[in-house]
Amino acid sequence: MMVLRRNNVRVLGQGSRAMIFAHGFGCDQHMWTAVARAFETDFRTVLFDHVGAGQSDLAAYDSVKYSTLDGYAQDVVEIGQALDLHEAVFVGHSVSAMIGALASLKAPDMFSELVMVGPSPRYVDDGDYVGGFSHAQVEELLDFLAENHLGWSAAMAPAIMGNPDRPELGEALTESFCATDPKIAREFARVTFFSDNRVDLPAVTARTLVLQCREDIIAPTCVGEYVHAQLPNSEFVLLNATGHCPNLSAPNEVTAAIRAFV
Amino acid sequence: VRDDDLSDLYEDAPCGYISLTSDARIDRLNGTLAGWLGQPAEVLVGQSVHALLSFGGRIAYETHLAPMLRLQGRVDEIALDLLGADGARVPVIANAREKRNGAGDHLFTRITMFRAIERRKFERSLIDARSEADAKAEAEHETSLLREQFIAVLGHDLRNPIAALDAGVRMLGGRETLSERGQFLIREMGASLSRASALIDNVLDFARGRLGDGLTLIRDAKDPLTPVLEQVVNEIRAIAPNREIVTHLLLEHPVDCDRARIAQLASNLIANAVTHGTPNQAIVVKAYIESDRFVLAVSNGGDPIPSAARAQLFQPFFRGGVRQSQQGLGLGLFIVNEIAKAHGGTLDVSSTPKETRFIFSMPIHSIPEPKSA
Repeated sequence: MMVLRRNNVRVLGQGSRAMIFAHGFGCDQHMWTAVARAFETDFRTVLFDHVGAGQSDLAAYDSVKYSTLDGYAQDVVEIGQALDLHEAVFVGHSVSAMIGALASLKAPDMFSELVMVGPSPRYVDDGDYVGGFSHAQVEELLDFLAENHLGWSAAMAPAIMGNPDRPELGEALTESFCATDPKIAREFARVTFFSDNRVDLPAVTARTLVLQCREDIIAPTCVGEYVHAQLPNSEFVLLNATGHCPNLSAPNEVTAAIRAFV
Repeated sequence: VRDDDLSDLYEDAPCGYISLTSDARIDRLNGTLAGWLGQPAEVLVGQSVHALLSFGGRIAYETHLAPMLRLQGRVDEIALDLLGADGARVPVIANAREKRNGAGDHLFTRITMFRAIERRKFERSLIDARSEADAKAEAEHETSLLREQFIAVLGHDLRNPIAALDAGVRMLGGRETLSERGQFLIREMGASLSRASALIDNVLDFARGRLGDGLTLIRDAKDPLTPVLEQVVNEIRAIAPNREIVTHLLLEHPVDCDRARIAQLASNLIANAVTHGTPNQAIVVKAYIESDRFVLAVSNGGDPIPSAARAQLFQPFFRGGVRQSQQGLGLGLFIVNEIAKAHGGTLDVSSTPKETRFIFSMPIHSIPEPKSA
């Protein structure tokens, strides 16, 4: 199926319910490998790459469609439809927490539970709202992305894109998990860090778990608490893990928190 | 100081060394790095690595570098700006490795850094030059698109006044009593008007092609093609009554083509023959079918086309050496060639001192579009 190829969807595990894991800005589905493995015994686990990331079909990238998080949410809905997901659990890291919220609004029966790991509905400060970022700081990140291609090789991309049925060509790239076309990385950074989905939160009906890390500069605790307060039906758990990627640095703690919730 | 003094090798190395604990705090750093940062090492030890990074660098560390280190154990050649004591930036290139024990637990992360002021400045200038070039190309593309849109709109809007003029000229020529000179002028005016509309048609087709719509064909194999070709010849005879045009039209099979487009093609080729051919030799128009192909050949006498010009004949805006008053836009043959290609056909030219001949040929049955997988 086109959608499954486009988003490099991998389905593993067994169980009557499905749990879909969405990676955030930065890397790809490998961010979730350790946590997803822990649910394979009793869930159908679904891993995928957002278009532009990992082994997704780069030819499907469209600057207009993906100029808002809505374009990414539309893809999640299409993946859910292709896999016939109902009452599934959506686990989203970082910006994908909001992508999951938007997808749940588009297809209300698809996800009965959302797990948001380090969510932020708006990164840039706005009046009384503290997101933690200023515009200039986001620009600094864009400069970093312009100067660092992180293993991306423009010469390799056409070979991989033109031969989706020859995965060995892509293997050199899997060496570097965060390798992303620099242009797409910059656009995704812009979409992510200039997004504002505060108005969508009160409309979310799915039962939601907010997982908050300590010392997370990307999604500070006050932002996690804001998300929790705005969602009609949510639980808030402050993890012991520090930084922005507990799915990598503390997979066991994340797994336990999700298991207790579902 | 001896070269085998390991402490000195670490502290005074020609690069910066720093070790981070598993929760990304500074465990130790060497004197070289402390010197670049303008802070004693003791002040920095125990602080988060974030203390050394700009905010953008911190986001990059959390979203890219930390995950890459965790997933692949290393990152190489990262361009970073470190923050010095007085807020000054220290541009560096860094390599990092994670050290783990046998059980896979993270022990510490070692990073080496090279100060790279000149190199980073050079790279920055390359990036700036590229984004400047990109912006320029983008602006030029937009301008050319606008220009082509303008041409399309202008061409379209010119059609109405020309149609009104044409109707007036026809009415004068048909119903009014005119002197001999008046009749001559009306004929000339009619000829000029049809040349003007042909030019506009070509400009519109060209603009449409450039704007990405391409030529769309309305094929119809059922209607006969011969009357269409006859009408084209008659129109040109009316414009150029002094020129002899001989026709051999022998189409015993239907041709699956867009008849309006084939008329446009024939009209362009015959009008070209009138313009470029010698007046004392007849223009010959042949249409026939040969091994399932429709062939239209238009020939005229006169000077041959120079071989240097032949290569560019089908390029847009190409104009051969003709008298100023007869110069067109140079789109005629370009459009003819586009119509030929749209029909899966070919356009060939042969030119000798005896005659110049344009030969259009296309399959009489259209080839079905390949089904997309």
